[in-house]
Amino acid sequence: MVRFENVGMRYGAGPEVLRDVSFTLAPGSFTFLTGPSGAGKSSLLRLVFLAEKPSRGLISLFGCDLAMLRRADLPPLRRRVGVVFQDFRLLDHLSAFDNVVLPLRLQGRRPADYTRDVEELMSWVGLGDRLHFKPPTLSGGEQQRVAIARAIVARPDLLLADEPTGNVDPDMGDRLIRLFVELNRFGTTVMIATHDRALIESTPAREMRLVDGRLIEMRGPR
Amino acid sequence: MSADVDSGERRRGRILPREAGAVSLDLVIGVMAFLAALALGGVLIANRNAETWQAGLLGRLTVQILPQGEAPPENEVDAAVQVLKATPGVAYAGALSSAENLALVEPWLGRDAVVAVLPFPRLIDVRLAPGATPDMMTLEKRLKDAAPHAVLDDHRRWIVRLKAAANTVVLSALAILVLIAVGTAATVAFATRAGLAAHREIVELLHLMGARDGFIARAFEWHYFLAALIAAFCGAALAAAGLVAAGSLDQFGLSSVSFLPPLGLPVLDLAWLASIPAGAALIAWATARASVIAALHELY
Repeated sequence: MVRFENVGMRYGAGPEVLRDVSFTLAPGSFTFLTGPSGAGKSSLLRLVFLAEKPSRGLISLFGCDLAMLRRADLPPLRRRVGVVFQDFRLLDHLSAFDNVVLPLRLQGRRPADYTRDVEELMSWVGLGDRLHFKPPTLSGGEQQRVAIARAIVARPDLLLADEPTGNVDPDMGDRLIRLFVELNRFGTTVMIATHDRALIESTPAREMRLVDGRLIEMRGPR
Repeated sequence: MSADVDSGERRRGRILPREAGAVSLDLVIGVMAFLAALALGGVLIANRNAETWQAGLLGRLTVQILPQGEAPPENEVDAAVQVLKATPGVAYAGALSSAENLALVEPWLGRDAVVAVLPFPRLIDVRLAPGATPDMMTLEKRLKDAAPHAVLDDHRRWIVRLKAAANTVVLSALAILVLIAVGTAATVAFATRAGLAAHREIVELLHLMGARDGFIARAFEWHYFLAALIAAFCGAALAAAGLVAAGSLDQFGLSSVSFLPPLGLPVLDLAWLASIPAGAALIAWATARASVIAALHELY
């Protein structure tokens, strides 16, 4: 699903934020990415969801060597990846519902085919009565759930989440992690960057630990 | 834009919001379009009047019988008219009455009683048959023989000067039009780029979600195409209304400056003003597309 080989990354002429990172995410796996702030978790996720190019090393996604792909080949790969951004990145002028269906619109799907499923999904994440609210009128936790619903609505092959439970109470955190586990059970490969030890302990998943740009530890089920 | 995305746009919210400051940018585009339309109207009016002036003077002659003492000798007026009527190619020759003479100078001198006693020359209006070109040297000699105080004016001097003046007016208006067009183009391009800068996060988000460059570019280019089209249409329509109103002043007896050419434009000429919103919309469309594609190529 995802393979990194000796990947290094730097922003512009700055120092390397990731060094010699090598790992593999097997299809259907569930992985936590942990480490202190500034360790490079978000940068690693940005490499996986094709927001950045590595400075060196090899990245393979869905069996494709990214170095061999043309720019025009990337959009179909990006559509197979759902991302929960740490800062949510919701479009403030659209309703919660319209934010969630954005990936489906990009796929050219017809509203009649998805409206009921999307409403169901939004009810599941506790936004059933917030469908037509715009993000600025929602609480931080509600915005986060909109971002999560948007990331999973198109049933991606790979789900990446950056601190997805950072703004919700423990009960909602449990509910969301169950959603991720459920999605994983149906075949989606999941990688979650988090500081939340309780979340990590409660879920039987592999843990990859980054410190100072290096992958120093991998433990748990593979 | 594909039919599917179109239907999505209608049913769901627009992917692009109306950014803050859009109204003032629309206003700038509208004002520039208004000025461009006025300049274009000026070119069309100058061009049309230059043609009208030339057409009015071509094929016409004026004979002046200069005053001898207090008034021009009447017998010379009659003799000159007879000579003119006998000249081949002259379709009409008739002396202007004193009232007609006074009407000619009224815009400059007014209706004062003292004007009536000024020693004006008598004027004979001569119209030539279409295509007729009488020999001016011979005609002048025959006029001098019959009326020693006659002066023949074939307007050639005026036509040449008028042509030069009209050309200067047309060229000046064209230069202003070009300057305003460049200014309008730059304003539209600037407004579009400023709007894009405000939407950069949306561009990046759509890109990361797997939207193709063409989809994102289309969302932006139609957004700015429509905004520029509407703003420039309002500006040009206002200018067109102004030109129509100026052209209608005569009908309401408001044209106090009677020696100025008419300011009105025929409806067909007004249609040229439609090129301004079309041009502004195309500039906005092209700038938006080029800017979005350039911004997207900076992303991975």
